[in-house]
Amino acid sequence: MVILFSVICTVPLFVILIYILKEGITKINWHFLVNLPKPVGETGGGIANALIGSLLIVFFAAVIAIPIGIMGGIYLSENKKSWIATYTRLSVDVLQGTPSIVVGIVIYFWIVKPLSTFSALSGSVALAIMMLPIVVRSTEETLKLLPDSLKEAGFALGLPYQKVILRIILPCGFSGVISGVILAVARIAGETAPLLFTAFGNPYFSTNILKPMQSLPLLIFNYATSPYDEWHDLAWGAALILLLWVLLLNIITKIITRKWKIQF
Amino acid sequence: MTQFETEMLDVKSEIINMWELVLLQLSKANQAMLNFDKDLAREVILKEKRVNAFELKIDRDCENIFALYCPVAIDLRFLLAVLKINSNLERIGDIADGIARYIVESSEKFDTEILEGAEVLRMFEDSISILTDTRTAFEFENTLLARTIFSRDDILDTINKKADANITRFIKKDPEVIGQALFILSIIRKLERVGDQSKNIAEEIIFYLEAKVLKHQ
Amino acid sequence: MENTILKSVDFDAYFGENQVVKKVNIEIPKNNVVAVMGPSGCGKTTFLRCINRMHELIEGAHAKGKMLLNNEDVYGMHPIFVRHKIGMVFQRPNPFPNLSIYDNVIAGYKLNGMKIAKADRDVIVEESLQKAALWNEVKDSIHKKGTFLSGGQQQRLCIARAIAMEPDILLLDEPTSALDPISTSSIEVLLQELKKNFTLIIVTHNMQQAARVSDKTAFFYVGEMVEYDDTKNMFTNPQDKRTQNYITGRFS
Repeated sequence: MVILFSVICTVPLFVILIYILKEGITKINWHFLVNLPKPVGETGGGIANALIGSLLIVFFAAVIAIPIGIMGGIYLSENKKSWIATYTRLSVDVLQGTPSIVVGIVIYFWIVKPLSTFSALSGSVALAIMMLPIVVRSTEETLKLLPDSLKEAGFALGLPYQKVILRIILPCGFSGVISGVILAVARIAGETAPLLFTAFGNPYFSTNILKPMQSLPLLIFNYATSPYDEWHDLAWGAALILLLWVLLLNIITKIITRKWKIQF
Repeated sequence: MTQFETEMLDVKSEIINMWELVLLQLSKANQAMLNFDKDLAREVILKEKRVNAFELKIDRDCENIFALYCPVAIDLRFLLAVLKINSNLERIGDIADGIARYIVESSEKFDTEILEGAEVLRMFEDSISILTDTRTAFEFENTLLARTIFSRDDILDTINKKADANITRFIKKDPEVIGQALFILSIIRKLERVGDQSKNIAEEIIFYLEAKVLKHQ
Repeated sequence: MENTILKSVDFDAYFGENQVVKKVNIEIPKNNVVAVMGPSGCGKTTFLRCINRMHELIEGAHAKGKMLLNNEDVYGMHPIFVRHKIGMVFQRPNPFPNLSIYDNVIAGYKLNGMKIAKADRDVIVEESLQKAALWNEVKDSIHKKGTFLSGGQQQRLCIARAIAMEPDILLLDEPTSALDPISTSSIEVLLQELKKNFTLIIVTHNMQQAARVSDKTAFFYVGEMVEYDDTKNMFTNPQDKRTQNYITGRFS
């Protein structure tokens, strides 16, 4: 009975994978990857701007979220009882549950409106806010698992506190922290709602982060609901790319965890 | 009580039993000498086997405790003292056995006059009393009592020193008594050694209780 | 006492309001192995950790009194400096799992950012591993991570790491509690060798170990140092009844 239900759990993923693979695989070729979308009616468009756009937005989201998240995680793992730690943990947990569209709207009012323009940067900020809880929590959990004896060894060698954390604790917990980061990236790679009001989308190729930018989820959202078949094709191809992207990140995480994890 | 404490108490009661036995051997030898009782003397000779058996058992029990429990401080000193006292008591047992053999060998009863004149009777009484006191000192951990042994042993030494002159006097008076006189002289020498052994025992008791070494001073 | 390397004067240690070490006065002679023993909760580990100022790393922990290393108060020096002069080895072997054996030994220098020429580094690593009796067993895999080392070897690696800093004193907090008897034995032999170059203070709850390994022994009870004497005397004729009760096993 238990085995039956376990198998049932894998069915949805399987169905999705097969369906998207079927629909998308025919659409992907070199032109697809390097060309811009053509105006309606023309064939042979591509998703180059969305691909680059996604990479840039995610990159900057990571740049914002990773240092803050790791530092936050370190603080939480080192200070279990202080009221700041309790408050921070609570905030992070609530943040994790905040609907992505709400985050998007908030960033719209905080950044898009004052700057009077949609921008990739505001998209990155929104995504960073969504990445933050994952990075903080996974860093905290990883570091909490490290035995105190490691820190003691560091102190006994005459290392000051910052060096103990940065040169002993963090490197030892590296695999756990990195997997947390990669999982966070995988999570937000496909987030659409926050980008609706922030990055907004752009039919042209752009690398200016202070201006609107296209990204894969936005492209799928817009093109899949459009009435044009050529655009549907692009959407399927993009969906497959996105799926492969998320799959790849998850596999990398598993490999890192297995190869680099330090057993205690 | 732990197994260790039980075994330590067992060793203590074993050696006290051995003490009792050796004291009894000496008393019997004394009686046998006074009354020229060869049967009693033979009893002493037979019982000597038990004394030896005691010695072997106590040695073995101490060895086991050392091996198993690694005793330290007062427990260690106790066992070291017991080993030495064990050996001293066995030698006193030998002495009682030796005296009993003289009784069996001798063809004539010992003259009471000589016995008194050479102070053998006194020696016997004193040596038994000293040995009894060492046992009391050990059992009740009384170092004051143990310390009195040293001066009382001196008395035995004095009698021993005068023995040559005394015995010679008796032999000169009546050469016929030379047979028993020689036996009596030997008994005196042996009783002096009982005193020495008792003195050693007292030294061990003080070492065990106070960690002071009084040997060879 | 001439030749004293460490001296504590009326030393107290607290966890918040709770006093766990009371007025300890002890003089440790150079190149000796001094054992500190006592029942659980007697303050021996706390006292040890005060010597290299690890005690104060715990929240609410503080200490009073003088702790003189070569006549200079350890509490007047910078704690980092103190810990360079006084090394520590812990109960559970704790080599850094992300570093190779080589890097572990040199960790005290490397992680502190102290620059040393490669040739000097090689010398320090080899000498420390030699002194810790580990060189022959690891010299061919010195740049591998130490995960294949046994418990006893890991502990010797920790010792090598500590002595690479050339401390005056090496503190050992129950260094063989987590090891099997054979590893324990090899570490005990090692301690006898180490005392030629260092002064060792070892906390142990194993009395036989204290007896085997140390020149002098201190007995702690409920925060006080009840007795401190040559080990031979302590175990054949202790002066205090509490010491006697402890070593004869009359109370735990």
